Amino acid sequence: MISSIVANMGVLAVFKYYNFLNDNITGIAHMFGFTNHIPYLKMILPIGLSFHTFQAMSYTIEVYRGHQKAERHFGIYSLYVMFYPQLVAGPIERPQNLLHQFREKKYFSYENAVLGLNLIAYGLFKKMVIADRLGVYVDQVYSDIGNANTMSAIIAVIFYSFQIYCDFSGYSDIARGCAKFMGYDLMYNFNRPYLSKSVSEFWTRWHISLSTWFKDYVYIPLGGNRVSTSLWYRNLLIVFLLSGLWHGAKWTFIFWGALHGFYLLFGIITKKLRAKIKSVLIPAKWTGISIFVNRIIVFALVSIAWIFFRAPDFITALKVLQKIRECNFTFNLPQLCGEKGPLNLMLSVAVIITLFLSYYLPRDMKLKYSAAFLTITTFLIIILGKDVSNEFIYFQF
Amino acid sequence: MSQTNLSTSNSKVFFLKILFPFLLVLTGLGYLFGLFFEKEIILNSKICGAYKVNRIIHETYSNEIPIFGSSRAEGGYIPDMLGTNYFNYGLDGTGSSVMLFFLKEECKKTKKSSFIILNFDLSGFEHSLGDISNYIYNADYAPVKELLGKNYKTSFSIPFIKYYGQYEIYLKYYLNNRMNLTKYTNNGASIEKDKMTDARFNELVAERKRTTAFFVKDTALINGYLKVLNDNPKRLFIFVVAPYHSSYFEKFENFPEAENFLKQLRKIKNVRVFNFSKEIYPDSLFLNTTHVNYLGAFRFNKDLKDSLSKISY
Repeated sequence: MISSIVANMGVLAVFKYYNFLNDNITGIAHMFGFTNHIPYLKMILPIGLSFHTFQAMSYTIEVYRGHQKAERHFGIYSLYVMFYPQLVAGPIERPQNLLHQFREKKYFSYENAVLGLNLIAYGLFKKMVIADRLGVYVDQVYSDIGNANTMSAIIAVIFYSFQIYCDFSGYSDIARGCAKFMGYDLMYNFNRPYLSKSVSEFWTRWHISLSTWFKDYVYIPLGGNRVSTSLWYRNLLIVFLLSGLWHGAKWTFIFWGALHGFYLLFGIITKKLRAKIKSVLIPAKWTGISIFVNRIIVFALVSIAWIFFRAPDFITALKVLQKIRECNFTFNLPQLCGEKGPLNLMLSVAVIITLFLSYYLPRDMKLKYSAAFLTITTFLIIILGKDVSNEFIYFQF
Repeated sequence: MSQTNLSTSNSKVFFLKILFPFLLVLTGLGYLFGLFFEKEIILNSKICGAYKVNRIIHETYSNEIPIFGSSRAEGGYIPDMLGTNYFNYGLDGTGSSVMLFFLKEECKKTKKSSFIILNFDLSGFEHSLGDISNYIYNADYAPVKELLGKNYKTSFSIPFIKYYGQYEIYLKYYLNNRMNLTKYTNNGASIEKDKMTDARFNELVAERKRTTAFFVKDTALINGYLKVLNDNPKRLFIFVVAPYHSSYFEKFENFPEAENFLKQLRKIKNVRVFNFSKEIYPDSLFLNTTHVNYLGAFRFNKDLKDSLSKISY
């Protein structure tokens, strides 16, 4: 198992983290007046590397633990690691869920085909109509933060939260849909994360396949919460720092992970105090208001963390935060519209509303009128879709 | 029933219950929507680039005086201020190659009015198509197809689908034309109403001062223009250089070449040249360093009208 993990991590380290490490060595060496002569590697990052190495490691660990029989057929094993619908951006599957499906004989099934198409259409809608639309405003503000004011910075931050969700969950839906069409079931990767009432709940609803991977293979082996309080906190921080690092070889990603770790620790430490404050401020019978307030707070915290995820560097991220802190609410239409016009702003708000409306669809996408759903969705994609070749954000990981 | 037979019957049901109705309804709905959109939105907005391209190809107004050019024309010339028969064909993001296309189309027409106004940019003769949405409606018209070159897509011939990704652009033109919310519109002219912050304007000026400007010479394009001028002696070609912010000239590498070209033009019998490029307008009249704003456009058109009134031809 160790040799397999070392091999997988080695591939990741060379392709993804070598130059990052070298950059940091150069920076430190420069601080002390030295020159770093270690050469940089000029290599193209293999597509979906972080996803399929984690999936491969998952297999090794599960076989080692005796939860999964070793797969003797190289073709089936390769298919497990490189199953094309989820190759580039997950979900990161477990061998128990996927391997046995490759041994079953598949036939065309009406139900699978319809469910698959529904999922693909919904995923494309999320990506092409919602995420790409919101990206117009977000890209403009982040690329020209000097020209933004408080309102446009806040709007860009909120829009990015929805953009990344629709972009990534859209891909997951498409992946699940493609697999379903062929008769394969992939796991749910998202479960309406912005309806979470706490940051810890958020992590049970966001990128589920990655968070459970870290839980099963890092957090629990480290002792989870069945250790002393300080070790428990350490375990949580390690998991979130690694999660940040998994996303990319940049300090902004690591900081994003650390921030989420901090949120969680803060939540645990202040749990009793917060409950007391809540009981004073919100009467017990006002459950609805309490849930709503919690959701808003979680959304705000997660959105602030996304600033570091989206910004190309710390300077930009801090500038965005500074714009928000300035509280400059003077009305200027071009600024408010992110220099992209009122129509784009209105459409952006409208597509977020459609996202929430789409929550009324059954979660498994078993619809009574699938043909109508497909027609309306395709029609909307054609008239509302942006003619931009934005690749999925998570393809870079 | 065996799995294979079940699979076949499943695929038949899938085709009849899902795929066939989906394709049929989408095709019908898309076709009807496309027709409605073209008639009511695209061709119903005078500031829309597609409308302007369609108008220059298919519509003839005998007394019309066309104004051709880039965004500097679109946002700088107010037809109603210049007179009763002016129409602004300016297209944002386009270069001299598109203006030449408009010019050729205009010269195919038999008209009472002889004037043609061409906004001349000091950046010279550049190939720039601007937004592709301007051409899709007429993409199969040979000169448009030629102008599009490699940018022509087969999908431009498929109703409804051909406007994928462009619907919003047309709707934006339509709403701007109807509501004048952020833009002032007038017979093809579309002038930004909102003023950017002083800080932003100063940033743009500073950026301009760091940027080198060139007058680009393209022999093929220049010859194309000269041919049109020579072939149409009855038409009067009025080249106008709209005002630039003074910062534009700080790093203009070959300004004398631009001036020389204008001098050459002046020698042609059926050409007049009005150069407002160095007219000193205050900062408050500029949208940015290359475009006048709403107030600047009023001032410029007043000056231009005075100059046009002195023409005898």
